[in-house]
Amino acid sequence: MAAIGLIVTFLGFLLSLFSLSLASSNGARLGLVLAGIAVSLIGIIGIVNRAYLKNAIWKR
Amino acid sequence: MKKCALLPLALLGLSLGLSAQTPAAPQTPPPPAAVAITDADLKNVEAPQPELRAKGDPDGALTGTVSDVAVSDSKKGLTIADVVNQVGQNKIAINFVWTLIAGFLVMFMQAGFAIVETGLCRAKNAGHTMMMNFMVYGVGMLAYWLIGFSLQMGGVGAVGNLGGSPVLNSEFAVTLFGKTFGLFGQNGFFLMHNGTYDVTVMVIFLFQMVFMDTTLTIVTGSAAERWKFAAFLVSSFLLGAFIYPLFANWAWGGGWLANLGANFGLGHGYVDFAGSGVVHSVGGLCALAMAIIIGPRIGKFDRQGRPTAIPGHDIALVLTGCFILAFGWFGFNPGSTLGASGNGNLRIGSVAVNTMLAGMAGGFGAMLYMWLRYGKPDASMSGNGLLAGLVAITAPCGFVNPVASVIIGLIAGVLVCLSVEFMERVMKVDDPVGAISVHGVNGLWGVISVGLFADGKSNYGGSWNGVSGSVTGLFYGDSGQLVAQLIGVSALIGVVFVIYFAANVLVDVVVGQRVGAKAELEGLDLPEVGVLCYPEFEIKSK
Repeated sequence: MAAIGLIVTFLGFLLSLFSLSLASSNGARLGLVLAGIAVSLIGIIGIVNRAYLKNAIWKR
Repeated sequence: MKKCALLPLALLGLSLGLSAQTPAAPQTPPPPAAVAITDADLKNVEAPQPELRAKGDPDGALTGTVSDVAVSDSKKGLTIADVVNQVGQNKIAINFVWTLIAGFLVMFMQAGFAIVETGLCRAKNAGHTMMMNFMVYGVGMLAYWLIGFSLQMGGVGAVGNLGGSPVLNSEFAVTLFGKTFGLFGQNGFFLMHNGTYDVTVMVIFLFQMVFMDTTLTIVTGSAAERWKFAAFLVSSFLLGAFIYPLFANWAWGGGWLANLGANFGLGHGYVDFAGSGVVHSVGGLCALAMAIIIGPRIGKFDRQGRPTAIPGHDIALVLTGCFILAFGWFGFNPGSTLGASGNGNLRIGSVAVNTMLAGMAGGFGAMLYMWLRYGKPDASMSGNGLLAGLVAITAPCGFVNPVASVIIGLIAGVLVCLSVEFMERVMKVDDPVGAISVHGVNGLWGVISVGLFADGKSNYGGSWNGVSGSVTGLFYGDSGQLVAQLIGVSALIGVVFVIYFAANVLVDVVVGQRVGAKAELEGLDLPEVGVLCYPEFEIKSK
């Protein structure tokens, strides 16, 4: 599960990177980059961290 | 009566004043025609007489004269070429000394980090925390000297402020979207490779090395009180040799982020004056990755996952460390001009003032937030607020005005408090010193703030990242700069975090990141580093 989270986090970066070719206006690029950052944050907070919390030391 | 008598006189004077302005303004005399100085003129410049010099020079009037200008050919005597060369060398010498002293100040920040982190940990782990902060200097430097420096700066090209030596000239690049994307440098291994045994390269290395070490010491904070010492060494080596230099190359070494302006018209490309992103966000995001991998300390969360406070053992150390760091920041930010002479570098005064203002505002922001929310001006969070303000101003310090600096610092001071609460209560991540919030979150805020507040008044030699003109943010009319900054943020979160996380999962498998529960409960000083920090104290396990 953590590996999937890392992949999602990286995909968020790719979305931001591809804004350079997918859009030409600053407004459109801004939207795509913000979406990419949001995807990356979901990957870290929502997937990677949750995967590790399942076996957290305070749950044992 | 007197007033009545004075009134006509005043009117008379006023009319005289007005009439005096009526004639055409006197023309300023034309400047004297330039006269070329010849070598012969230099012969007339007298050196102090030896008899006078022999009597000493109490007022300093006889020291530093024509006799101190190096003469290349004693037969010809002093020539114009000698004087011009001396002027050039003086400029570079000023910039060398400035950059080196700034680097020495940044090096001393290691001591600040060490005592801040140690003070925020429990007494039973003080020796271990100090030892990590001590050895991170050595292991980081080794990694950077062997590999990291060349990956970061091997393709940066000539640095004009430091003499323009062209030996760091090999960048590995790929082509994407029809543009060149620099990924890492290839020159400068061991500081001997391909002509890099060079005075300019040495200055660049020293300054960049201490920055890299700052990043490494951020991670030791979030993993404190439970990190196995051997794993810390391996992990720190990987960070100093590969991961930090990779992003630093993209931002500072001529890599693809720096060229977003030249290649895609996004402002001046990714701009990070002294490293909110390169140094602090990299460190803070790696600290987050490590805190997730290593897990919280025993007792940090109860069985329902509610956080409990584990106070540090010495708040005096913490606040002293914050002062040391604030002092060192005057090397960090103003030193990042890499010079004091030429190319708009007199802005160092503005950079230094912006730095101190943002630190002050950060401390106030955090103190007021904690006071209003919890009823007390929390000392450790006030210290973290100061550091948050300093972290946030590190990227924009060279491009913003004093009012913007205070706003950036104030937001950082509140942001660090909110982030600490979010880390503990929502993510349930244990960060004993607040490193993730101080450096990671506020580093990202600092990067974004360049894209908002840069006022277009700076001019470092007429261009930045190969784009002419001054760096200008959204509030002053350039939305492209904000997009470039956010792409940098995305690279930090989506690449640096991922690579560091994956690498340290491997370290966890091979070495094991976390100490055993018995050692953690007893304290790590004896089990991990073999010496108690406070042998005469009675340490209670909790």
